[in-house]
Amino acid sequence: MHKFFNACLVLTVLVAAFFLYSLEHSTRGLERQITKQKADISDEREEIKVLGAEWSSLTRPDRLQKLARENLQLYTVTASQFVSESELAARVPAEPVILLNDKGDDPIGNILKEMQ
Amino acid sequence: MNMTEDSDRRADGPRKLAGQNRIRLVATGFSIGFFAIALQLANLTILKGPSVEEDVLAQHQPRTPRPDIVDRNGVIIATDIAVASLYADPRKILDIDDAVESLTATIPDLDAKALRAKLTQPGRAFVWLKRQVSPEERDAVYNLGIPGVGYVNERKRVYPMGRLAAHAVGYVDVDSKGIAGIEKYLDDQGAIYTASLAGSDTQASSPAQISIDTRVQYALTDEVELAVSKFKAIAGGGIVLDITTGEIIALVSLPDFNPNQEDKNFSKRQANMMTSGVFELGSVIKAVTFAMAFDYGVTDLNGRYDARFPLVIGKASISDYHATRRVLTVPEIFINSSNIGAAKMALDVGIEGHQEFLRRVGFFDRLITEVPESAKPLLPKHWSKLATATVAFGHGFAVQPLQGISVIGGLINDGLMTAPTFLKRDVAEADVLAKRIVKPETSEKMRYLFRLNVTEGTAEKADVIGYRVGGKTGTAEKVVNGRYAKDKLLNSFIGAFPMDAPRYAIIVMLDEPKATPETYGFATSGWNAVPTAGKIIERIAPLLGVKPKFTAEDIEKLAKKAKATKKDG
Repeated sequence: MHKFFNACLVLTVLVAAFFLYSLEHSTRGLERQITKQKADISDEREEIKVLGAEWSSLTRPDRLQKLARENLQLYTVTASQFVSESELAARVPAEPVILLNDKGDDPIGNILKEMQ
Repeated sequence: MNMTEDSDRRADGPRKLAGQNRIRLVATGFSIGFFAIALQLANLTILKGPSVEEDVLAQHQPRTPRPDIVDRNGVIIATDIAVASLYADPRKILDIDDAVESLTATIPDLDAKALRAKLTQPGRAFVWLKRQVSPEERDAVYNLGIPGVGYVNERKRVYPMGRLAAHAVGYVDVDSKGIAGIEKYLDDQGAIYTASLAGSDTQASSPAQISIDTRVQYALTDEVELAVSKFKAIAGGGIVLDITTGEIIALVSLPDFNPNQEDKNFSKRQANMMTSGVFELGSVIKAVTFAMAFDYGVTDLNGRYDARFPLVIGKASISDYHATRRVLTVPEIFINSSNIGAAKMALDVGIEGHQEFLRRVGFFDRLITEVPESAKPLLPKHWSKLATATVAFGHGFAVQPLQGISVIGGLINDGLMTAPTFLKRDVAEADVLAKRIVKPETSEKMRYLFRLNVTEGTAEKADVIGYRVGGKTGTAEKVVNGRYAKDKLLNSFIGAFPMDAPRYAIIVMLDEPKATPETYGFATSGWNAVPTAGKIIERIAPLLGVKPKFTAEDIEKLAKKAKATKKDG
């Protein structure tokens, strides 16, 4: 009786030890994974910061102004170029783009075709 | 003696009970002990769990994290990025000569002599080799594999916008400590405040948002810079202020600096003259005198003053730059910028009243904003009748330009002045802070005069048709060796737009501008500061969402202009 009881206890201890060990092993694995992912997140955040700084630097108004002057024919907007909504109708071109489209003449499409 | 007693007991076989009790006692003691240990173990391992990562993070963040600084639209102006810094432990380096040689070969800008001196210092366990190196340099040094040489990850403050808004934002030293501008303000609020902005997770920080708009800031900087070079001025500056909330939308002071540069020994001229300098703003201050006279009811828009003869007080005599030699109405005094008229108005108010009014608008106190660089106004030491007369047209009285625009903004903004700020502020918050300095009726008269001065006065060149600009010019002679120098001018223009519901005020200042052929030999404010302000307003009004409006007169003027350009073309 005692022997059987002791054997049972030993077996329980072994099973428990195995279970505990495997649990610890998987926990360690998960912990490593968490640490790694946290490091990855932190790396990504760092990357975002660098990219944010770079974006900010690339969209500096002085740089944009220089590029716009070199590559686009745009000038400072004057007050008279603003039109209120009620006056808009008066400024629509005589021949709307849609009508030109119907005739088979598509100015934007032509530009796109040229580029291709 | 004891020995014999023990052996006696052992000999008495049947008296076992005493010993058993002792064993039980010991067993109970052990059980309690082990149980306590087990409990504590369970508590530490299962209930609380491991907290290794926190320690790791703490090691990587040796300094208080700094929040990003963004402009009012969320554009990044200052941010922290990770960089490596190289250090050495001289005690661990086996061959110092060899180490010096390979280090200088890898990083060319390291000075061999200085490096050797650093590494041969006795008893040092830590020396910086180079702070904030590039990833390539870091890897190269790491690959050298010199024992005792290593790197730590640090955070470096970068300003992607460069010199834009540098005076407002300020800069930090190599240890990320704020030295000037908003950066210093963040530090002065305490590490806790700074860290709270940065958030508990050091990476996901909520930024500090300032009131500057980078687009407006650039337009202002660009135009003031052009004016400084065109009129060969030695310095220039400008501010755009939202007078309804007190937010500083843009502030520039030239020459400025790049906060990214390593050597931060900036010269005195590079200081922020808009807040840390005081200037005699000259005729611009007449606006304050007019508001005072209206508010005390001394005169109104129908009032008249005799400007035929110079005003003599004691030995001094006050005369006009644009002498008219006739009796002027109050609006005429304003648009002709008559010193005599303004002085007479102030004398009518009286010395006491004058001082009381200047105290009311805050000209007796230092204007304090978040930016730590600020200067106290300079007022006459002995306030005589002559002092009142000269202060009335801005002489003998120097003030921060920021304070000047803030007060004049208040005079125009229905008499409500809001303390200027570099931090973004909402309307509700501003309404609480607003302080009444003059009656709304006075403000209405001021708005009329400001607009009139642009439509037909000295500030005509700032009339950007459609945006209803109003303003006052100032041409002050600078004091050189205790005397006013006729050829050294400090020109300014304070304006506001749109005048029917003023929202934005602007000041442009040029220090010692020279006459050019285009200005027909004139160097007064109307020929340089005023057109510059006009160009700025034309650029920033659309950015600020000010809708243009045209009267019939405006359309006529536009047609005339179009004709003129056609002829020129």
